[in-house]
Amino acid sequence: MSAIQSERREGGVERLEGPVPPPAASRRRGVKIRGGYIPYVLILPAIVVLLAVMAYPLVRVILLSFQNVNSYLRLAVPGLDRWIGFDGFSRVFSDAQFWQVVERSFLFTVEVVALSIGLGLAFALVLNRVSPWAKIFVVTVLMFVWAIPALVTGTVFRWLFAGVGGVIDYICYLFGGSGMKNHDWFADPTEGLYVVVAACVVWGALPFLVLGLNAAMTQVPKELVEASKVDGANPWQSFRHVVLPIIRPFLLLCTSLSFIWDFQVFTQIWALRQNSPEPGYWTVGVYLYEQGFTSSHYSNSSVISIAMILLMLVVLVAYIRQVVKIGGQS
Amino acid sequence: MDVGFTTARATPDRLPAAQPRRGNGRRPGQSRAMTGLWNTVAVVFGLVMAFPIYWMILTTVKSNHDLLAQNPTFWPTHFDFSSYSTVFNDPDFLNSMRNTAIITVGSVLAGLVVGFLAAVAVARFRFRGRNPFIVAILIVQMVPLLSIAIPLYIVLNKAGLYDQYLGVIVAYLVFTIPYVVWTLRSFIVNIPVELDEAAMVDGCTRWGAFFRIILPLSLPGLVTTGVYAWIQAWNEFILANTLLSSNDKRTSMVWLSFYSSSPTHGADYGSQMAGALLVSLPVIILFVVFQRKVASGLTAGAVKG
Repeated sequence: MSAIQSERREGGVERLEGPVPPPAASRRRGVKIRGGYIPYVLILPAIVVLLAVMAYPLVRVILLSFQNVNSYLRLAVPGLDRWIGFDGFSRVFSDAQFWQVVERSFLFTVEVVALSIGLGLAFALVLNRVSPWAKIFVVTVLMFVWAIPALVTGTVFRWLFAGVGGVIDYICYLFGGSGMKNHDWFADPTEGLYVVVAACVVWGALPFLVLGLNAAMTQVPKELVEASKVDGANPWQSFRHVVLPIIRPFLLLCTSLSFIWDFQVFTQIWALRQNSPEPGYWTVGVYLYEQGFTSSHYSNSSVISIAMILLMLVVLVAYIRQVVKIGGQS
Repeated sequence: MDVGFTTARATPDRLPAAQPRRGNGRRPGQSRAMTGLWNTVAVVFGLVMAFPIYWMILTTVKSNHDLLAQNPTFWPTHFDFSSYSTVFNDPDFLNSMRNTAIITVGSVLAGLVVGFLAAVAVARFRFRGRNPFIVAILIVQMVPLLSIAIPLYIVLNKAGLYDQYLGVIVAYLVFTIPYVVWTLRSFIVNIPVELDEAAMVDGCTRWGAFFRIILPLSLPGLVTTGVYAWIQAWNEFILANTLLSSNDKRTSMVWLSFYSSSPTHGADYGSQMAGALLVSLPVIILFVVFQRKVASGLTAGAVKG
């Protein structure tokens, strides 16, 4: 997430350095000769910490997935652990619920990513056309929305969509949905997940997308857009052939980031369902939490973790490659 | 999260320049009508986005009578702040805010120190393993926290840090360090190497140059990254929920999740919303206060580079 902004800034800087390579290069080399061991000392603390809190736990996840640590007792008394090879994997993968959860996660992710990117692009474009006061108003609102923690968002949306006293029911009723009073949005998990949770996640994601995409669009030279108009392009054509190619790298980053975030959605569902989501609300993140912490099936949960990372891998790799490509010209 | 935040702050500067070019004389009437239309669309969008926040705040000042009314009202019949006193009367509330503050400050400071050192290495030196290190940082940033929650729990349990502030602080370094390294790197790259060299010519050691030249000059970067890291740590829920168990150690987010699902307050939306507002207030204030400062720090850094 942080990557993009620094990358974009630095991209400019590195390119500035480009035209004058000889002095820069020699200076760098001088630095390197003087402090052969210094950089290693500098990154040592970071490496130690990341090994402890990231690398070791990841290794542990992999080990756990080949063991049978499926109760708290086994965790407490390691002597009872057994290596069971791929049995754990086959057990989880032969469970129909796992595949339901995976399918649900993908559908949910596709829906939310499409909605949030579509709306984000649309309102980023709108922001380019409004008067300054309107833009300041929208940007201010978005900043506040951004500041709201995910857990709070979930709690607030549970109240908005509450079956008794919920304002969304009342607004639907005011606009003519007479049967909508005291409608329980959560009774049917399909409706709860694809409407309420999706609305909650999209609401939380829009500030970043609208403001980020709008900032990317301000980098499009006005002259290009105007030239395309002079050449007879309609607004859609000038967006499609002038604006889109320029914001494309950032748009790709946004899309893959959204995918990564939405696929592992957990906190909002957790808050919306008051800490105990029904099985119909289980996406991969919730499922692995339920397996791991609620039922103490640590090995099963590790298998699900690995499956989740593998399912995200294509997008993850694409994202990292994109970041490295944009920023890695250094 | 953080990305657009920065880019967003850049937008107000561009506003005046971006606006007047449009509708440059050609068909002024129509373009004014179009601007009016777009303004309406934007305002409606802003109102829809603002509505949940408005509703949260409104709920906190409604009386019980209003909250239980048949039809919700869009303005309270009278202002009633008893929801706030309900929250403050909860013995765990202030305690959880304090816990969050301790954990957040600890992880931000530790993340800044460790991250600054690594950022200097990455920005100033070419060394074997530099690129793998950068890629590793990027990968670490993308690993889902949920997937390492269980092994982290096991590791901390073994180290005796389960249900300890220190355990959570160390666990939070998993997202603060990559973030700080990645962002500070671009600030430090912008500081001319000549400054280091001048200091060293004047008798400073290389380490002295880090602390006397690079550290003060990257202060705006430290503030920016510190603020973002603060927000992430303050809002974090998953790890706090899994790595702390006792009542008096819970962070405010965990407190909110328990409070709003407890039998006594599960349907008491007035106090739930008051609690929700109060736990997000520090972050909201931070956004408001630092928006300008961090923006000026960023632009200053960019210009100097």
